[in-house]
Amino acid sequence: MGKYNEFLYDDIGNEYARKNLYLLELAKLQSKLKTAKAEEKLEINDAIKKLIKNKKNNPYNLELSSYKSKEKNFLTTLNAKVKVFVSNLDKSIDGKLKKMEKDLFISTEKASFYKKYVPLTHDAALAYERNCIMRDQLPEIIQKYKTTKDELTNAKAHLKQIDVQNEKKVKLEIKEFASKQKAIFNEGKLKLKEKRHSKLISDKALKNGIIELQKKRSEAINLKSYESDKKSTKELIENKKYVLNKGIRRELNVLKSNISDLRRKTPIELSKTKPYFSAITVLFPGIGQLLNKQALKAIVFAFATLFIYVIAIPYALGFGNYQGSGISGLISLAEGGKKVDKSLIFMIEGIVAIFLLMFSAALLMLSYFDVKKVEKDAMKGIRPRNWFESYSKIGQEGFPYLVSLPALIVTVFIVIVPITTAIMLSFTGMDPKHQSKFTWVGIENYKLIATGSGLAGSVFWSILGWTLVWTVCATSLAIFVGFMLAIIANNDRIKGKTFFRVVYLLPWAVPAFITIMFFSIMFSQNGSITTLLDNFFNIQLTAKTDPFYSRIVLILLQTWLGSSYVFLLSTGVLQAIPGDLYEAAQIDGATEWQKLKRITIPIVLFQTAPLLVGQYTFNFNNFSIIYLFNGGGPFNPSKYGNLAGSTDLLISYIYKLTMENQYQSIGAAITIVISLGLMLFAFIGFKNSKAFKEERL
Amino acid sequence: MKKSDKKKSDKKNKLYLSDKQPLSTVGKLMLFLSYIVLFAWALIILLPLADMVVSAFNGRQEQYIMLNDNFQFSLKHFDYLFNETLYLSWVKNTLFIAIMTAVITLIIVSFTGFAYSRYRFKGRKASLMAIMLIQTIPTFAGITAYFTMHSVISSIAPFFTRQMMLILIYAGGGIASNTFILKGYIDSISTELDDAARIDGCSSMQVYRLIIMPIAKPMLAIIALWSFIGPFMDYLLPRVLLTNPESYTLAAGLFTLINDFRTMNQPAFAAGGLLTAIPIVALFIVLQKQLVSGLSQGSVKG
Amino acid sequence: MNVVLKNIGKKYEGREEFTLKDINLEIADKDFCVILGPSGCGKTTLLRMIAGLNSITEGDLLFDKKRMNKVPSKDRDIAMVFQSYALYPHMTVYDNMAFSLSMRKERKKVIDERVMEAAELLQIKEYLYSKPSDISGGQRQRVALGRAMVRKPSVFLMDEPLSNLDAKLREHMRVELVRLHKALGTTSIYVTHDQTEAMTMATKIVLMNDGKIQQAGKPDEFYNRPENIFVAKFIGSPTMNIIEGIIKEGKFVADHGLIEITPSPNDALKLKPFEGKLVSVGIRPERFESGGEFGDTFSATVDVVEMLGKEKILYARLDNGSELVISTPGHFEYAVDEVHSFGFDVGAIHFFDTVTGLRIN
Repeated sequence: MGKYNEFLYDDIGNEYARKNLYLLELAKLQSKLKTAKAEEKLEINDAIKKLIKNKKNNPYNLELSSYKSKEKNFLTTLNAKVKVFVSNLDKSIDGKLKKMEKDLFISTEKASFYKKYVPLTHDAALAYERNCIMRDQLPEIIQKYKTTKDELTNAKAHLKQIDVQNEKKVKLEIKEFASKQKAIFNEGKLKLKEKRHSKLISDKALKNGIIELQKKRSEAINLKSYESDKKSTKELIENKKYVLNKGIRRELNVLKSNISDLRRKTPIELSKTKPYFSAITVLFPGIGQLLNKQALKAIVFAFATLFIYVIAIPYALGFGNYQGSGISGLISLAEGGKKVDKSLIFMIEGIVAIFLLMFSAALLMLSYFDVKKVEKDAMKGIRPRNWFESYSKIGQEGFPYLVSLPALIVTVFIVIVPITTAIMLSFTGMDPKHQSKFTWVGIENYKLIATGSGLAGSVFWSILGWTLVWTVCATSLAIFVGFMLAIIANNDRIKGKTFFRVVYLLPWAVPAFITIMFFSIMFSQNGSITTLLDNFFNIQLTAKTDPFYSRIVLILLQTWLGSSYVFLLSTGVLQAIPGDLYEAAQIDGATEWQKLKRITIPIVLFQTAPLLVGQYTFNFNNFSIIYLFNGGGPFNPSKYGNLAGSTDLLISYIYKLTMENQYQSIGAAITIVISLGLMLFAFIGFKNSKAFKEERL
Repeated sequence: MKKSDKKKSDKKNKLYLSDKQPLSTVGKLMLFLSYIVLFAWALIILLPLADMVVSAFNGRQEQYIMLNDNFQFSLKHFDYLFNETLYLSWVKNTLFIAIMTAVITLIIVSFTGFAYSRYRFKGRKASLMAIMLIQTIPTFAGITAYFTMHSVISSIAPFFTRQMMLILIYAGGGIASNTFILKGYIDSISTELDDAARIDGCSSMQVYRLIIMPIAKPMLAIIALWSFIGPFMDYLLPRVLLTNPESYTLAAGLFTLINDFRTMNQPAFAAGGLLTAIPIVALFIVLQKQLVSGLSQGSVKG
Repeated sequence: MNVVLKNIGKKYEGREEFTLKDINLEIADKDFCVILGPSGCGKTTLLRMIAGLNSITEGDLLFDKKRMNKVPSKDRDIAMVFQSYALYPHMTVYDNMAFSLSMRKERKKVIDERVMEAAELLQIKEYLYSKPSDISGGQRQRVALGRAMVRKPSVFLMDEPLSNLDAKLREHMRVELVRLHKALGTTSIYVTHDQTEAMTMATKIVLMNDGKIQQAGKPDEFYNRPENIFVAKFIGSPTMNIIEGIIKEGKFVADHGLIEITPSPNDALKLKPFEGKLVSVGIRPERFESGGEFGDTFSATVDVVEMLGKEKILYARLDNGSELVISTPGHFEYAVDEVHSFGFDVGAIHFFDTVTGLRIN
């Protein structure tokens, strides 16, 4: 048998006395039982048993059931009365008004009926007070509705009898007015310009002044245009329609929220003591809510049920798939399937199925916990939310979710699914010989990478080595150069700063692929730079065929490209450093070098740190420069095999593996490995950055 | 002018008027060195670019760009570019992709930026953090999947071209960081404005549309600009995803002018590169302050 | 419209204690109610709860008997002036003022009339087409007021609207606000930490501290009959002198023994139950006299003299070093380090229970 509390509670923990005397007695006995001594226990247990046995004949329960039957009678007679009332209403009034009149009538009747039973049950008390609110507040709303409606009808009638002649006249007047306004505007503008000429006002003031004049003019013309009877009547109609619609709804919302407040303050009394709805309806979201009498939630969750049983589960079982067979396709990877069946499609559809199932599971949980909470609350005394309350709650709290939905969909589609695919792929054997059909191979690919064996894995470590060297050198050099230039150019005594800034901006502004390709031309065998060096210094630069020179040139090239960005960034920060910091340091006797070391560098580094970290990760994955400059070459098959060149970074190596040589699975494995590394790196970077720490997320 | 006046003005000119202390000899030397460094770097930047410009206009250049002393002004490379290559359709494609990317990014990000700045909802921090981390994975980790996904979707919905896939990838890839930047900007707008608007009768949607978005316009413009420029700069994805030269973007298209023997024409590449670079460079120069501040906003303000 | 707060309480998520608890308040129609209190006392939270910007944890908020607890701000028929003015920076002054009406699809003509009327009243007609960023602080303040007025709301809420203005302008706006309230007659609730604003403008003051109402009533009651020590100290400048001591044989004796006060017969009656208990005496600086009715005087050394023109503020030290603030007419002559004898205006002495802080007489 379930346990009852002596008191009822609302959602903020206020206590309310029980009105159900039977349950109250039961609760009292139960609480006594807890503290009773052993010998008394028997007696109390007997009393409880007796009470339960006599449940039907308990005086309170008798009274309650007589109330219930009276209520039933009342409601049937009320129904008949309402029918008569409605039929007596003016036929011409619209549905909204009819409903309000009907509600008013019902509430008056109900209020007087339930008044007597207020002390008997909380439900009756709620019904009484709720109807009182409606009885008191509805007449005002109905009155407003009626008058607005009359005004609307009048305005509509007026619109039909508008004097066309007069309209024309007014139109002419408006035109004339507009031209006058234009003259005024021009005059004002001229005056302002004169003032500007005699240097009374600044350029900005002139601009603002003209804008103001323009606004004034258009406002005046706009206002004047409403002198047209037609236009203003139309506007009046719009306004009245708005009041009828939104204005009345607003007042009704006040009424409804009054009622919902009442529901929060009037507890509910149930004889139920176990939240069994949630357990029995767990598989069918919506039904539990329906049992809790929460219609709106039931509808929302019904969609979830629909989604689960019509979309997610059938899809996971293989129905409605494009080619795959749901989850099972993920295991079989189209093995033994038709010739056109592709393992990859089976895999992706399997992943989609998994996501759908995960989403379904989340929905089921959500629904289960929702039903359970409402049930448990109701047992405590908290009434379930009604339609209006749920609606306003969903409207308020659902807003951020609703507006983030497009982002979520795109992210799942573009980021999550492809990346999951890549992770899965790294455990398969997709290579040139197994393009359309491949199988699971476990961690085979990772083993190849770790041990540096196999066709693709053998060069992994040497490429990783160069990638790291490249990342550190190219980025650090670019940061150093950019930063130095920024400090030099920031000197107050340097003239022509604008020129330098524009020039230094260029490497960043010109699309990198253009400059890289052009440098590639210039560094080629007959390119201009090679020729120049040969002619003037007699150096035979073999940037494209010698691995060592090739690497040096690449690092310098990236310095050329990357320093621009660092320069702009640090210049921005440098200019924002307050001058009094330096003045204070100067008075304290700091030398230029100390100022640089103690003030400038720390501030700039601190402010740009996350972006500089970003530069390192960017260069780690800087595909364009490697691929566009020399395609990863020069090639040295004895050292790097046939797949990679000596300047290939991991990223361009992956590109070659997946796109040019179709070793998709090992490519994916390398991607996963470097992604994990980068993520760790980025995580540390973000976490330590000021932005993230101070972020009030 | 009288003599005494002249003397006075002479004196005036000689007066040391700068706020700063006069320089010592060492200081002057340092200043001189500074100028040398600055000019040297400017030269390093300008020379290659100048070479590109010159090559583009040099009628004496054939197929391969070489260093030669002959210069003859000619527009023949531009002529070649417009008439013999698909340059114009590349421009059209790139513009289409860039504009669509900017529009989609703006729509998505303006909502999320607003939601993340103004609402405290469950999963807010976790989701942003997760996406930030996931985005460090290089885009082309997903490329194998993109191919397949595209072929599946386009066989169901034939209008879904590879360019659209590209647009989605660009837009989707920028969601987290742009949300972060915009959120930082919206955070700096007083919430009292929201309150005032709500009292004045706005719903959440109206607060977003009528109050926050107009005020956040500068940052929205920067985000739009960045998303717009992205497709001009990117080479990798179009190269991989777009197979038909007709549908190439500028980056992929121009590359065919230097790496494919059938279509090789380096001066035409220089010309095309020049034409592509000029509007972007102009944009950068005019808006450099805003662009840089937009960049650092992400880090400094968060 | 009359506004009633019944047992209003506020608890923030994740906090143990209620920020506000048991706030009971009735603001009559056409009242100008000032909620006064030190910063952090919960006054702004209370105002925002009335505005619907913060949720109400418990209790009832009634506007003309309608419960407003969960009604969204936009449906409450209120207008609010914010501390930072919160003018929409992208709209002209005119559009700022017209915004709320145009949100309600009001007719253009009506909007224009109302905006012009408000602009006339507030003397901002010249700036109607400027952006808020182009006008001065005082003008912005007026625009914010105008924006709220245009609505013709039934309740007018103001959150420290004058705190960003300089002293001169503030004084001016204070008078103007009173005038405005007289003209419009709208029920107004005004939050401030400045007692001068409260005393000069309010028809009703509510003084809050620590999330509770300390006293509510008319301004003169606050000055003349503070309900507890906190109110006594908060209202009045310079601050009221508080002397701690006990009642001995019907007389007040200070802890340091240097001051004795014989209460007036009325007060003596009320002090009877406090015989032998700790009691604090409060006396306003201007209520010291040279002699005193019952001859209770004390001598003190003048430590610092502040000359304010119409009055002089003396910081006097008793022999044990404790300080009293005494205000005298400006033409009296006092020199530093002089010793003087002072008495009390017996009718103006406030007795408080030191333990509970509550007023006794």
